[in-house]
Amino acid sequence: MDALSRPAVVIDNGTGYTKMGFAGNVEPCFITPTVVAVNDSFSSSAPPAARGAPAKGNWLAQHSAGVMADLDFYIGEEALARSRASSTYSLSYPIRNGQVENWDAMERFWQQCIFNYLRCDPEDHYFLLTESPLTAPETREYTGEIMFETFNVPGLYIAVQPVLALAAGYTTTKCEMTGVVVDVGDGATHIVPVADGYVIGSSIRSIPITGKDVTQFIQQLLKERGENIPPEESFDVARRLKEMYCYTSSDIVKEFNKHDREPSKYIKHWGGIKPKTGAKYTVDIGYERFLGPEIFFNPEIYNNDFTTPLQVVIDRCIQSSPIDTRRALYKNIVLSGGSTMFKDFHRRLQRDLKKIVDARLRASNNRLISGDPKAQPIEVNVVSHPIQRYAVWFGGSVLASTAEFYEACHTKAEYEEYGASICRSNPVFKGMY
Amino acid sequence: MILLQSPSRFLLQILQERVLSGEKGMDIDCHTVEFDDVRYHIQFSMRNPKVMVLSVALPLPPPEAILHDGLPLGAVDAIKATYGSVVQILDPPKDGFDLTMKINLTKLPPDEASNDLFVYYTPEQRNAILTQIASIREVVLGAPLKLLLKHLASKTVAPNVDKLVALVHRPNESFFLAPQADKVTIVYPMRFQDSIDIVLATSFLQEFVEARRTAALNNVPSCMWSPAPPLELKGVPADALNANAGFVTFVVYPRHVESKRLDRTVWNLLTFHAYCSEGFMHTRMRRRVESLIQALDRAKSDAEKLKKLVHGASFKRMSLKNEGDSRI
Repeated sequence: MDALSRPAVVIDNGTGYTKMGFAGNVEPCFITPTVVAVNDSFSSSAPPAARGAPAKGNWLAQHSAGVMADLDFYIGEEALARSRASSTYSLSYPIRNGQVENWDAMERFWQQCIFNYLRCDPEDHYFLLTESPLTAPETREYTGEIMFETFNVPGLYIAVQPVLALAAGYTTTKCEMTGVVVDVGDGATHIVPVADGYVIGSSIRSIPITGKDVTQFIQQLLKERGENIPPEESFDVARRLKEMYCYTSSDIVKEFNKHDREPSKYIKHWGGIKPKTGAKYTVDIGYERFLGPEIFFNPEIYNNDFTTPLQVVIDRCIQSSPIDTRRALYKNIVLSGGSTMFKDFHRRLQRDLKKIVDARLRASNNRLISGDPKAQPIEVNVVSHPIQRYAVWFGGSVLASTAEFYEACHTKAEYEEYGASICRSNPVFKGMY
Repeated sequence: MILLQSPSRFLLQILQERVLSGEKGMDIDCHTVEFDDVRYHIQFSMRNPKVMVLSVALPLPPPEAILHDGLPLGAVDAIKATYGSVVQILDPPKDGFDLTMKINLTKLPPDEASNDLFVYYTPEQRNAILTQIASIREVVLGAPLKLLLKHLASKTVAPNVDKLVALVHRPNESFFLAPQADKVTIVYPMRFQDSIDIVLATSFLQEFVEARRTAALNNVPSCMWSPAPPLELKGVPADALNANAGFVTFVVYPRHVESKRLDRTVWNLLTFHAYCSEGFMHTRMRRRVESLIQALDRAKSDAEKLKKLVHGASFKRMSLKNEGDSRI
């Protein structure tokens, strides 16, 4: 068996969660938080040089302690548990706002993903990794370097996340490879128009409101209301509450009334245990349930610096795209990323966007002199599918299970011939720049 | 090098979810791969949500390894002994696989909330059984190794076993056991594809043997590395010995396979790979470069740094006095 006959490994590294698995499956094998717990007790508090001790022995001790510290780390849920249990481990998040920040941690993360979670030999499999549309070519080069040098992979493809998200919808709804991908992840929100599989680079919009901001907003609301949550856990609790209870409301005022009328129906309780003392505590969660996701539609309730709602940004993004693609783009707005999983998110987005589009159409029709042909109404369609949370991964899985995938990959032979610069170019961006 | 756990995380995760999820049925049909071309095919059907059909494909056996009906020696007995009534072997196995099993999760020890007052299992015990199912690889592939080491523990030689046993190590590669009453010698021919890897691995293995000599590791199995096949491997066909990174030999004594240690020893010997060492070397190399750059930065003289600052100034500051002078 050679690498071509084995399934490719698909790893989608997101800011919040990493999705990994083998191509050809419907679900990723693992979804784990992208976090590494490093034991820094060796490096930071190296023993002060004892006087009179042989210098060489001391150096050797420090060196081997450093080696041990290199081996002593955990990723994912395990990392979170370790750092909670003891203070010798410090957490490091290798990806920030969709971009890799800490390559050392990232390499360790990949290493654990490949060997310990997927338990495969990287020399035997082709790899598909993902990147955000705004990733610099240098980053791509570095990724290639790590993959080819450290892990010895036979072939690598670095795909653009929104294109994969579109490809995921392709199999379920049989639509074209033209559409707008609204990718709301934990660390980055991008609105990316794609025409026939090519990203329209100049029209990409990104907004500073992400899943993490929703969490922070909920955390802030809970704190202001005086909920009794241990401070060291409050972010984590807020994140969990967000994932479990939040939903999108159709009208914020009506929703407030509903909650006031029937608090018992809408207010949820959540119980936890304080990590230090072991005492139990409960948290009530009320208005936060719909106020959290509301910051996408009314950002001014969270942040004074950025007040453009999501639907307006999407509309501007489509308006800045080539005119012949606009109708097709409005017709196929695809959601992806964990933070679009709130109940009724797509309905709300579709309604709000339709309002803007219809208003513009009416205005332009009113300007016409009677007798001129009127514009056709524009179809606005926000597509939501059940695999939204790992749509990017699923798209990658579909792509990597086709025969063409192996031809599009950068291979190890190419890498050795030309160097890491082969990873700079991406076939999906070709023709647009 | 990295130590892997014996149970497959993915299998364990699926099993745990399934046991906890109650009666809710959902179709699962997925393929997954592990190192050395061990493939799993996991199936759950809607009709029988508590029955898992698990097919396992083993690495392609090298010609010198002896198999019984496509499975290693003693594998069927080992499965029966380990799992009891929970697992049922289906014969013949599914197309393209070496072993198909039906795992009935209803036969697992029930929850604490069960009506059965006399059988009382904790979730930990149930988890232990699930973990065992997830370690199917160790049970099947490690069966002959376990058999031989068990005999070692009782200081006997297993009956009707050759002087030299070849076991499947990786696809088309094998490792060798020379069982004796008081010790078992295990030899791994090391093979690598990449020329750089061969060099790195050779030096790594020499270092590995060297590390064994430190005082703290007095009790571990002794370990040797040699570029030529050791004497134990006399009579083995030459094409099974074309190792390009030498041979690693471990000698296991009865004290290494005492009751509790047996399982761990089996697994560690079964999956002896020098995985991932290169990654650590790279990490250390990068750190070294960073510290050297820092040292260089520190070594720059203060004057050099100052010069840079002055150089950066784009205009000359003039005082009123200077201005006056120029007029005169």
